[in-house]
Amino acid sequence: MSFATIGLLVILLLFVFFFMGLEIGFSMALAGFIGFAAIVNVDAAFNLVAKDVFSVLSSYGFTVIPMFVLMGQVGASGGVARNLYDSAYKFIGHVPGGLAIGTVAAATVFKAICGSSPATAATFATIAVPEMDRYNYDRRLSCGTVATVGTLGILIPPSVVLIVYGILTETSIGKLFLAGIIPGLIVAFSFVMTLFGWSAMNPNLGPKGEKSSWKERFSSLPPVLVVLSIFLIVVGGLMMGFFTPTEAGSVGTFAVLILTLCKKDMDLKRFIQAVSETLRIACMVIMLIAGATILGHFFAVTRTPYIVASWLEGLQVDRTVIMLIIISVYLIGGSFIEDLAFLILATPIFLPVVLKMGYDPIWFGVIVSVVTMIGVILPPMAINAFVVSGVCKEPVGTVYKGIYPFIIGMSLCLLLLLFFPQISLWLPNMMME
Amino acid sequence: MAQEKPLIYMKFAGLSRAGESGFVESTVKTKSYLGGLNRIFSRFLFVIAGFALTGTMLLTVADVILRAFKRPILGTYELVGLLGAVVIGFALPQTSRLKGHVMMDFLTGKLPDTLQSVLRILTRLLAIGLFAILGWNTWSMGNDFYRVGEVTPTLQLPLYPVTYLMALCFFIECLVLFVDMLEKRELEP
Repeated sequence: MSFATIGLLVILLLFVFFFMGLEIGFSMALAGFIGFAAIVNVDAAFNLVAKDVFSVLSSYGFTVIPMFVLMGQVGASGGVARNLYDSAYKFIGHVPGGLAIGTVAAATVFKAICGSSPATAATFATIAVPEMDRYNYDRRLSCGTVATVGTLGILIPPSVVLIVYGILTETSIGKLFLAGIIPGLIVAFSFVMTLFGWSAMNPNLGPKGEKSSWKERFSSLPPVLVVLSIFLIVVGGLMMGFFTPTEAGSVGTFAVLILTLCKKDMDLKRFIQAVSETLRIACMVIMLIAGATILGHFFAVTRTPYIVASWLEGLQVDRTVIMLIIISVYLIGGSFIEDLAFLILATPIFLPVVLKMGYDPIWFGVIVSVVTMIGVILPPMAINAFVVSGVCKEPVGTVYKGIYPFIIGMSLCLLLLLFFPQISLWLPNMMME
Repeated sequence: MAQEKPLIYMKFAGLSRAGESGFVESTVKTKSYLGGLNRIFSRFLFVIAGFALTGTMLLTVADVILRAFKRPILGTYELVGLLGAVVIGFALPQTSRLKGHVMMDFLTGKLPDTLQSVLRILTRLLAIGLFAILGWNTWSMGNDFYRVGEVTPTLQLPLYPVTYLMALCFFIECLVLFVDMLEKRELEP
């Protein structure tokens, strides 16, 4: 059998494992192991699994993941999101749909310390939805908004998706963070426009809230400023080369911990809760990476990425068309397999193609992130919709109805970023030469 | 109980089952002897992982602060790497026990009950096989490290203890998967 045939069989086996309900990380490890044993020999495969898993687990580079997850979890369980929401609410609650717009604004700032998308959706589902219920907001609008704003963290640093992408492709995490800022703000702006348009068309969806005085507004600002300065220290320190990514995450966590301790919003019980959530998320992500590493070594032996690259090159079409094909693969793949898992699986396969076509890997990271943002709220594997439906006790169908309008805006942003790479690349190129 | 509500989404996300941590009373009901043993082991390791995570954070922050005074903590880089292995490896059994790993269960969930049980047993056996291989080979890697006397570059810390501990975690993961195979999976609402 040729290498290409074995490669194809292993991919088939991988999908059989997925559909049987074997954990995705374990499926990748097992399929990679079997493939490697078939091509090289069983002893080498035994060595490979142990070495790969041990080196992923004990590598300094990967400790950045638990650190940034911990920073977000400490912020989430320490009530930082509520402070931000209170402030946004006071500024904009009085316009139609204002509470939902306030949710977008608060989530955008909150994302500057919390990179986890379902955690944000869950946090805002418990804070913002009851508030919107109080003013008789339509459940489609309120649930759709909280499910969608959770995705902002995929693009706005410190995003776990960008960190994982940076590790996989060996690109600078600092640069990726910078590249995510402007596109992240553009997407957040598209959410605000969607909400404006939607509530203008149907004013009953989001009635006006109370108007606050300017004094109330300004007195709600300090926590917002503290969060923004923590963000500046973390991303700035990383950018200037003062911190490694792991150090940036640790310092950020420590700063958020001090902030929540000062506000008396943090106690031992909450900290333990944040730590155990972090352990679970980090363990899940790193086991995915470990599985993908084993599978990746198998693919490297079969030269699968090069076969894919030469096949795509042989199509004789414009590189934009090939990029659109790659994006569709991510969208389709990510809507059936969990999005981060699919990104970890697919990126090493497609990266050689992307580089060969002359695209910037930093820019591709931003594009992949926006695709992942759409993926996490696109049925049938829309984690955020499940989270919000669980917290708000609303059928998933209702949440989906609230999500669709936002997807239009996000798709427009994706096209904008696709055709104008300078939007993503301007900031990192200017700041890091 | 407040802890029972978020079960709905935990299955999909592997995330945010608020309040249901290894430290809070678990909602997973286990009566058998093996199940109890499994629970004690997983939680014990999970607590150590928690300390390792907090320790890594504090150690790194201390290093950053002391570095500003030109007194960095020697070997932070390697210590953080080794602690990272403890964090993830020790959290593994409990993460599995709480069904924290992502899987594609929206398809299998629609199948008839008998077929679901068959698939569950089959996938658990595959996973046990994987972790048995992993545990065994990590252990023999530890033997190699011990024999050769492999150490970290700066602090000269021996690598074999962490390697043996990882192997141990993988064997306990086998136990977790075995108990999962025997138990009837909770019905999701």
